[in-house]
Amino acid sequence: MGSVKIFVKPGCHFCPAAEKIGEILKSEGFPVFHYNIETPDGLAEAAFYSVMATPTIILEDESETTVAQWRGVVPQLDEIKSYLR
Amino acid sequence: MSTVIKLDDKLKAQMADILETTDMALFVRTSDESMHDWEREKIVEALMRETVIDRDTAILISKEVEAEIIKSGIKMVTAPLIRELVNAKLIEKGLEDARKMHTRLGMPIYDVDQLILHPNKENANVPHGPEATNLTLAETIKKEYALLSVFSDDVSDAHMIGDIHLHDLGFIDRPYCSGQSLEYIKKFGLNLPNSLSMAKPAKHPEVLLAHMVKFAAALQSHFAGAIGWDAINIFFAPYIEGLSDKDVKQLAQMLIFEFSQQAVARGGQAIFTDINLYWEVPKHFEDVEAIGPGGEFTGRKYSEYIHHSHRFVKALFEVYMEGDGSGRPFFFPKPLVHITEKFFKTEGHEEFLNLISEVAAEKGNTYFVFDRGETAKISECCRLSFKLDENDLKDAKQPWRMRYCALQNVTLNLPRIAYKAKGDDARLFAEIYRLMELAAKAHRQKKDFIEKLLSHKEKGPLALLTMERDGIPYLRMHRATFLMGMLGLNEMVQYHTGYQMHESKEAFKFGLKVIAHMKLITDRLSKTYGMRFVLEQTPAESTAYRFAKLDIMRYPKEAKDVIKGDISNNEIYYTNSTYLNNSVEINPIERVRQEGLFHPMIEAGSLTHVWLGEAKPSASSLSNFIKKVFRFTLNDQIAFSPEFTTCNSCGRTSRGLSDTCVYCGSSDVDGITRITGYFTKISSWNKGKLGELKDRYRNKAFINQGEI
Repeated sequence: MGSVKIFVKPGCHFCPAAEKIGEILKSEGFPVFHYNIETPDGLAEAAFYSVMATPTIILEDESETTVAQWRGVVPQLDEIKSYLR
Repeated sequence: MSTVIKLDDKLKAQMADILETTDMALFVRTSDESMHDWEREKIVEALMRETVIDRDTAILISKEVEAEIIKSGIKMVTAPLIRELVNAKLIEKGLEDARKMHTRLGMPIYDVDQLILHPNKENANVPHGPEATNLTLAETIKKEYALLSVFSDDVSDAHMIGDIHLHDLGFIDRPYCSGQSLEYIKKFGLNLPNSLSMAKPAKHPEVLLAHMVKFAAALQSHFAGAIGWDAINIFFAPYIEGLSDKDVKQLAQMLIFEFSQQAVARGGQAIFTDINLYWEVPKHFEDVEAIGPGGEFTGRKYSEYIHHSHRFVKALFEVYMEGDGSGRPFFFPKPLVHITEKFFKTEGHEEFLNLISEVAAEKGNTYFVFDRGETAKISECCRLSFKLDENDLKDAKQPWRMRYCALQNVTLNLPRIAYKAKGDDARLFAEIYRLMELAAKAHRQKKDFIEKLLSHKEKGPLALLTMERDGIPYLRMHRATFLMGMLGLNEMVQYHTGYQMHESKEAFKFGLKVIAHMKLITDRLSKTYGMRFVLEQTPAESTAYRFAKLDIMRYPKEAKDVIKGDISNNEIYYTNSTYLNNSVEINPIERVRQEGLFHPMIEAGSLTHVWLGEAKPSASSLSNFIKKVFRFTLNDQIAFSPEFTTCNSCGRTSRGLSDTCVYCGSSDVDGITRITGYFTKISSWNKGKLGELKDRYRNKAFINQGEI
């Protein structure tokens, strides 16, 4: 199973919605990682994935290859799940 | 100033008897070619004037020093020696602060002798000659002054031991670098404080150029580093209208030669000049009223002059393509072409991109600056660039207001932080924070000092920067930035994780984490102190060598495993800023991509070098490469650097570095390539950079495969 990376920052309007999606996915057993880009770890990870907008959600497969990404937008839960199946 | 005091034998006998004598006959030779009598009171006066000790202590010290001189029986006493004897007394009495205040600045005669005879290799842009010697002598004293008098002991000590590097200490009484608008002299002419004559706004293009060059020379005397000019081809455009193509080419040639000639204003240095160029008219200048001959508004907007801005910028690159009289690349002015979304939407961009790519392949001059997204960006100087905020966009309506500066650069020695941390993450990040706080302190101290100088306004030493031709001081201190540089991230990561950044994903990510940490600290410090701190990729022409040398002495066991270059002949260095190892064979587009991941966090601008060596890629390959970099990476800026050998005997220049001229066989040749962000002769490089030159991977295989 790959992973879901969610990049957020405090005060970002749509970030809570992205975080909520992350919580749901996590509760369903998907590996979800949250990154706050105002922390060194979060900003470094954001730099690695060239994240220039929040929220950003990146899905990776087992070999850490990106299979889907939403930058600056929040997708529907079902849309994400369609990639995770 | 050296003062020599001679005591005759009779006098010495008298003095031996009367230790309190104050009326000794003596010969005092001073630098103003006058003779003075010995007066012990002079010691007292100096102590009272220069320190804060009380008069009784000063008198006591003067008597003790006088007694020692008499007792010693020495035949000649110099004023510096007297001063040192006084200093020794101050130390004996525990008056350390007073001793510091009483310090004499200067150089040993041996050092001056060496300096006059041998070139200074700290800055390859300084030729060797009497003017350069003057510059170095002055810099030496001002450096000492800065470390003793401007900065606190903790800051100065951190610099001297090599934890941090305070750049351009020899220019302590000037800001670091600046960005200019040609509109200022177009509108106000050349009306400078303390100048012998005032010139009204230029009516002719060549006069405008003359004003620009003279103003640049005046600015060079007031800033330590680069002088950048924004949108030169756009602002020259109203003066180009009506000129024949031949005259436009002539003007372009004059501009480039004027800025590339040596032996101008300061220390025989060429003015370190950047010219920013645009194919499109940037959005923020589109509707701006154009200023034309005589400083008058022409009644048209700059967008209406695009044809003439194109003619001028093309002419400039035609001159760059030809090179100087012997076919060498021009070292200055450095042309920075801004590649934007609008660039690709502006008619003729393919042809222009091909031209500047051809110049990059042939001579290497072109810097490709990538301004992505809709936000406008301005390059101030050297690598300092920033995005325009609301106030800047308002200023853009009156472009003469768009002048910026960075006040100082302080660089952290990253590998040493790793040596101290001994593999402990928490210690490593804590030490970075400690040194950045110290760097912020250094910035505050320099700011206070410059503000003190500026407070004297047009009567003071920085009169030029205080002139208020448009109602506000020329130097806009509220817009000043304070640079936090970094050096040797690759070696820091290598020591801390066991891998260089190109060797493992984890190591690379750790490098990103370090820079992310630094970026967040600059944001926090900016809020705390109300100053604009930003990260910069320090060019580190001499710092990469200096830190390496200091670390191999102080941390030999740790440094020897990660330091780059050849330790056996002292050609050692650390990898610049956040760069990947210079010697590693990495596909150039991948190098540009990976190094570019750091760039969004380094607000003061960044650069990736693509070393070409003797190979010459095609213009179309380079042009495609540029498009890929713009579209698929976050890299801020790239430059392609070929190497050349120029012959002093036959005056011809060939591709690649060789010991003899390929045309005439003479061994009187100079190698030329980029040392950091500019071209220069290799003979003027310091040992560290020579070590790096040997290591540079020159991308030959990828050029042959057409990758670039």
